[in-house]
Amino acid sequence: MSSTASGHAQLDPRLALPFPEAVLPVLRNPQLRKNVAHAIDVIQTKRAKLVLEKTDWQALRTAASAIRTHALENLGAYLEQFEERCTAAGGVVHWAADADEARKIILDLLRQENASEVIKIKTMTSAEIQLNPYLQAAGVDVFETDLAEIILQLGNEEPSHIVVPALHINRSQVREIFARRMGLKGLSDDPKVLTNAARTYLRQKFLSVSTAISGANFLIAETGAVAVVESEGNGRMCLTLPKTMITVAGIEKVLPRLQDLEVMLQLLARSATGERMSPYTSLWTGVTPGDGPQRFHVVLLDNGRSAMLTKPVERQTLKCIRCAACMNACPVYRQTGGHAYGSVYPGPIGAILTPQLMHMEYSQSLPYASSLCGACYEVCPVKINIPEVLLELRSQVVNQERKQLTRIFDPMYLGLLIANLLFAKAWRFHLAQRLGRVGLKLFTRKDEWIHSLPNLGAKWTQTRDLRGLPDETFHEWWASRAKGAK
Amino acid sequence: MSASVTSRQRVLDRIRLATQSCAKNSAGRAEDYAKLPRNYIRRSQPGASVRWELMIKRLREYDAEVVECTPDELPATITAQLTASGRHSFVAPVGLPTEWRSTGFQWKIDRGIDTSEIEQAEGVVTAAFCGVADSGTIVLHHSSNEGRRVITLLPDWHLCILRATQLVETLPEYFDRCLQPPSLATYISGPSATADIEMTRIKGVHGPRFLNVILVSDENVSVLDKDAVQTVSIPAEVGSLKGR
Repeated sequence: MSSTASGHAQLDPRLALPFPEAVLPVLRNPQLRKNVAHAIDVIQTKRAKLVLEKTDWQALRTAASAIRTHALENLGAYLEQFEERCTAAGGVVHWAADADEARKIILDLLRQENASEVIKIKTMTSAEIQLNPYLQAAGVDVFETDLAEIILQLGNEEPSHIVVPALHINRSQVREIFARRMGLKGLSDDPKVLTNAARTYLRQKFLSVSTAISGANFLIAETGAVAVVESEGNGRMCLTLPKTMITVAGIEKVLPRLQDLEVMLQLLARSATGERMSPYTSLWTGVTPGDGPQRFHVVLLDNGRSAMLTKPVERQTLKCIRCAACMNACPVYRQTGGHAYGSVYPGPIGAILTPQLMHMEYSQSLPYASSLCGACYEVCPVKINIPEVLLELRSQVVNQERKQLTRIFDPMYLGLLIANLLFAKAWRFHLAQRLGRVGLKLFTRKDEWIHSLPNLGAKWTQTRDLRGLPDETFHEWWASRAKGAK
Repeated sequence: MSASVTSRQRVLDRIRLATQSCAKNSAGRAEDYAKLPRNYIRRSQPGASVRWELMIKRLREYDAEVVECTPDELPATITAQLTASGRHSFVAPVGLPTEWRSTGFQWKIDRGIDTSEIEQAEGVVTAAFCGVADSGTIVLHHSSNEGRRVITLLPDWHLCILRATQLVETLPEYFDRCLQPPSLATYISGPSATADIEMTRIKGVHGPRFLNVILVSDENVSVLDKDAVQTVSIPAEVGSLKGR
């Protein structure tokens, strides 16, 4: 499936194929799997080393989990506090109930600014609301400024990871994209040369485009500040040079106090990129005269989040600080990469976040895209019990399926229905055993193994043999033995 | 913007409804917040030399260049650094001490100068608010001797002067020093970098490619010498979260 310019059609949960089908092209693409495995190995090695040196790692996780839980339990009050402080500092706070409202608010703001171009800091939230294709269609040129996002935008590629979104693309593929789209001949595939090409490509944009869009890593209720964590300095460029800044942030991003960052910042970079701190963390509060954008807007996005707040199990999902440690640790993600999840949020967090953002109307296959091994929970810096949420969502999916009339054509449903009937009474079970023995006898070879079965049974025997049923069950043997003893 | 007002109400109503069983009133929130478990490390290990040496090690790991000097040696050390850089034009924040602006170089003092002028400068010299040794982080609160955010962003070379009293070991100790929450802050942990292509770390994408740090001891003895004779008292822990 091809994507539209900077759109994420393949990653729209409403259009995406179920995980088991979407994964097939990836499993047949050895280059992609190699790229993904390499990137993950590098991050995992760096992370493990830095986590080990932190003797209070578990205490930090416990604190982070408690802070995030407390913030979510009191989300309404903390959001209002953030709004009040940000507004007092000269910012303008907007509220968007869903993706469509957020997009419209942002486009309206850009129209007020007469902005025909906009520069962007990497933001997962804007990808979630499919902002880029919407703005492009409305005639606004969007320039991503994070190196990985540039690679994706110029190459018409989809993000496959929330921290290193182009990890599935290797250096020679980047060289090809840059050579073609930037018109650079004789470009080498040295990452240093490629990075420099991006620096040159963007420098003029930074200095001339007057409106920028960012996401937020954290919103601070106590001060009304916004925090953005990044590596390249493209974020600082966008936060400093334009006249107008628009930040789009999920409502869950709020922290009660500035000092809560002392916990979050120690966990975030170590978990995300295997660094002690990311090169740049920027904090700003509304508007500062003489320094940076003089017009500042925050769009607070709900888009399905408030529905996750009701029950503690699902609420955990919103503790996420988007570090991607769960996908780096996931044995499923390692094999499949991110695209198969059909969402901008892949991996274990995507498997629980996406279906809930979609109000359980789409992406129902994702809660099953896990072996429930628990590696994601173990590495999660805010202790989201992802396996627990996966199981809860699976039960919700099953409850949905129970209500569907078409279920009677589903072989698994029929099989379980019959099993339910047979297991309900002992005589039914014994009868089934006897009938099964007669039926299977036809397929059992001399070596007492069944090597091939017809129809549905073939799904088993295609890959392994089935032991033939014995002539007598244990029950039958026990009963005959008791008779003989008399 | 009546549509936004209704959206605000809609979103807040949804949140209120969903959290009605767990949300607390103002006093209850404060009480719950004070009880949050915080058993992580707050305080430095004793001895100023521990964090001093750790800071140097971390900065060098980031490929930053670090030199140490005493307060008396500072102006000469700055001059030596500027000379060694082979650069001539530098931006200075408006509050940078005059004796830090070495003679023989071209200085642009940032009284709201144009971006293009900053872009043309070859380097920038600033003070800092704090240094965090654990992560090798330089903290800027953008006061008058640290400058506006843009001046430490566009020039390719940044010389930052950090005093021993400004050095803490842990991130919580830095936050303890934020008695007034800063309205602007930038935490710099090594030069601009990316690993987006095959996880190969490349230094210098958009921010300054070169970070130089001068660490200035408290008095005219090096921190290391002084530590050998007496244990330097750790700066009082202020504004601690504990007990709130």
